[in-house]
Amino acid sequence: MTKIHHLLLGALLAGLVPLSAAPQHDLYIAGGISKNYVIGSKIVTTSGLFLRTPEGELKPLGYNDASIVALAFDPRDSRVFYTGALNGVWRTFDGGASWRITTGWDETEARDVCVDPNAPDHVYAAITDGVITSHDRAQTWARLEKGLPARGKYTQTVEVDRTKAGRVFAGCEVGIFLTEDGAQNWRCVFPTKRMVSDIQQSPHDPKFWVATTQENGALLSHDGGLTWQVAKGVPTEKTIYNVAFDPTNAKRIALGSWTYGVLVSEDGGATWTARNDGLPGARAGWREGIDPGAHSVWRVGIDPDNGRLYASVTEEALYTSDDFGRTWKKAGLEGSVISRFVWITRAAK
Amino acid sequence: MKFSALLLSALALATSLVAQPSSTGPVPAREVVQGADQRRREYLARIDEGIDWRLAMVKPGDPVNRDVIALRLARRIDPAQCSRDVIEYMKEPGNGPFWMFPVVALAELGRDQLTPEAKAAIRDGWRKDVQWRGDTENHWAMYYTSLYLMSELYPNEPGNTWYTGKSSAENLAEAREYLIHWMDLATTVGQGEFNPTHYIGEYAIPMLYLSTWAKDPAMRQRGHMMLDWIFADLAANSLHGVLRGPNARTDDTSVIERWNALATFFNWINFGDVPPPAGYGGWGIHYFLAAANYQVPEVIYRIATDRDADYTQRDLKRTRRRWRESSTLFDPVYKTSYMRNDYAVGSFQGGYADPIQTHVWDVTWDVADPRGVHNTMFSLHPYSSGTGMQMYFSDYPEPMIHGAVDLGKPSYDSPDKVLGSSPYEQVWQDRDTVIALYDIAPGTRFERVNGFFSKDLTNVTEDKSGWIFAQGGKTYLAYRPLASYTWEPSLNWKQLPATTGYSWTRVDNGDKLLNSPHAKNGTIVQAASASEYKDFAAFQAAIRALPLTFSLAPVPTVTMTTLRGTKVTATYGQAPVVNGKPLDYAATWKLHEGPYLNAEKGGRKLTITHGHLERVLDFNTLTITDRVK
Repeated sequence: MTKIHHLLLGALLAGLVPLSAAPQHDLYIAGGISKNYVIGSKIVTTSGLFLRTPEGELKPLGYNDASIVALAFDPRDSRVFYTGALNGVWRTFDGGASWRITTGWDETEARDVCVDPNAPDHVYAAITDGVITSHDRAQTWARLEKGLPARGKYTQTVEVDRTKAGRVFAGCEVGIFLTEDGAQNWRCVFPTKRMVSDIQQSPHDPKFWVATTQENGALLSHDGGLTWQVAKGVPTEKTIYNVAFDPTNAKRIALGSWTYGVLVSEDGGATWTARNDGLPGARAGWREGIDPGAHSVWRVGIDPDNGRLYASVTEEALYTSDDFGRTWKKAGLEGSVISRFVWITRAAK
Repeated sequence: MKFSALLLSALALATSLVAQPSSTGPVPAREVVQGADQRRREYLARIDEGIDWRLAMVKPGDPVNRDVIALRLARRIDPAQCSRDVIEYMKEPGNGPFWMFPVVALAELGRDQLTPEAKAAIRDGWRKDVQWRGDTENHWAMYYTSLYLMSELYPNEPGNTWYTGKSSAENLAEAREYLIHWMDLATTVGQGEFNPTHYIGEYAIPMLYLSTWAKDPAMRQRGHMMLDWIFADLAANSLHGVLRGPNARTDDTSVIERWNALATFFNWINFGDVPPPAGYGGWGIHYFLAAANYQVPEVIYRIATDRDADYTQRDLKRTRRRWRESSTLFDPVYKTSYMRNDYAVGSFQGGYADPIQTHVWDVTWDVADPRGVHNTMFSLHPYSSGTGMQMYFSDYPEPMIHGAVDLGKPSYDSPDKVLGSSPYEQVWQDRDTVIALYDIAPGTRFERVNGFFSKDLTNVTEDKSGWIFAQGGKTYLAYRPLASYTWEPSLNWKQLPATTGYSWTRVDNGDKLLNSPHAKNGTIVQAASASEYKDFAAFQAAIRALPLTFSLAPVPTVTMTTLRGTKVTATYGQAPVVNGKPLDYAATWKLHEGPYLNAEKGGRKLTITHGHLERVLDFNTLTITDRVK
């Protein structure tokens, strides 16, 4: 199913070479090179999923699709994974060799997908008009939306609490919603004016969650997501796109934002600092007169093997930092937009 | 946006190399072809003209071209070469609905002509290459029609032979279900992407293919009935071969040069009453392939060509699907078209109906030869907002403005644009009077109103009364800005050849823009036929004499009596009060209402009437019933 072009692969991606000789995790990237692409034109780039090789190259995996924005693995078998894309939710059982679009015509534009680690047959997906739930590894889907609003349930992100089966957060247009019974019932735990863009659980403290939003900046919760506080020092005027915890350092958190670039905290979210020196500045023509001074960071991620910080700068390149954003270097993937960095523990294979 | 730049460049080049008899020839006489046999002959001749034109462009050594293969298959020319070309073409397939439906045509036309190897090459493309479904209704009409036909053509095949991972039966069921769902929406609460100047092709061509190639008689019938419905709507909203009125989607060219649109191709092919656009609009090539299998019934033909009275047609349409920033999934669009021999006035009630390419209202006048003529007058608020676009797109707000500009909508973020709807515009129309009111929220990107004044207007006069008088063809026009303004050139957008993406330049063709830089604003336009007045001065005197009061604060409001005697108070944010009664759109608007098209909301049944002729399209029973009254 894959149409491989080698535009991405010719260069050694120096910034992606693992720091340690034997990394404990595999890095999967979901992204695409969509610059100058419009629907209807011929695709001349490789997009979709990439797996980092030990040499630091990115090996295309699966189908060529620049619209993939989400990726989630079955914790029992990393050959089983799901993508969220324009066509819906896709699934592979064989590591990307074959695929199935699991959703139908009435579920479109999947924005996120997650697997319950305590009930791995249970899969949740965020879509443009709500949340869909599967209890059979995405073979069938149901709209279990009791408690979600009739309108305002555009959902950008879903995230499962790893400590309890069926405890799931949904980031919707009008707030953060929580289910504790596998989507049978939802309730709003924090209302927002506009979209909740990402929700993540700390790998160090399962009670600590961070959410990012369109108009509320970043939100912090220290009680397992029952209550949320606006993070001081994070601007709220423009969208914060995502949050990443550093698995190697409980105090380190990074935010990615189109407007503000990379924001980091090294004290567990108490204070925040912009770390954009070395990233490309605003380019004339892209945001001229629209969003001057923006850094167009689409996504940040942190390598669990070494704390390396990754930033996807929209249609520029992937950048990495080994000092948590104080300096940056270009790491290839020219012209790309990366929607997901996912590290999978090798032992899980 | 869906034309690739390469295609447009190729078409432009082709146009210059090979004559297109109808596109560059004389304007057809305004005569009704009475005989069915003659209409059929002329229709087939138009199809042949288009196919001949495209095939005549082919030169020895040209690279393999998908459309040429399809046309040769349609003509049954050299199947062996077609097979070789198909195999070559399929080595690098395309992606998405715009690629899918032309390849379906190859597969269907080649069923009894292509070699097994060529057929296998096509079939394999649907296994290994992912096809994007897209995110608009026109994408989905093409995508699911294509998936339906291919799944029908290759039944009983397992999921691992399709890019979807689903079996033929699963693909077929999903495609069928969506297509019926879409038809159900269109025939109960109205078509989305209504009255499109270009996107009509993205619906008409799939429906032609469905009506031609579906094996299931019910789906074939559905395709045929939807095609009738689409073309009946086109006929009732066209004047002398040119589509009029508001458009859910149009573009920077078609919004001012109304003839220069794919809709004109469909008027030409169906009714023969207008020159087609250059290159048959590009998409005409795909229509030619199966066009002989369909012809509009006489009743629709006569609606387009045989009219002798003024009429108002009211239609219910709907907005694009709203994912957020809205209390409804769709909003109703209450569309009005007032059609006369000399001009047409069209509008809907305003608001943000579609994210980028909407045209809300205008007066368009008739001209003997519409080619190159900017025969329109209107105003708009040049709305540009990333947050606004979130209503319709599943994306972050920050990159969307530039993204729209990059994806073939060059004017989207230009303050002087003449294309697009706004949440801050409300419109009322009664026959040839339009009142457009604007109350632009503070902080909105462009706090101004643009009025379009064509290079083709004559006698443009700024009267001390506050009215601006002008003449377009045989139409007298009066434009009343409710706030102060200045004039500037209205630069047109011209596409340049580009190897990737789009490239544009601005061109001064002589149009003018009325720039009224006030957030609280309004426009009143009155039109009348020159034949109704002794002279232009008499028209002006009648306009000056109209009872009219208005104010702009706290919200714009107009109270006036129109040229036709209707008393109206239009206040921004309130229902217009017409002859003393508040206008209740929801209660009064039918799905279609007028002398030619009538349908009840929720009815799934359209009655098409002209004189003694009647055709009823009933989706409840999947029947077409013709009657001579």
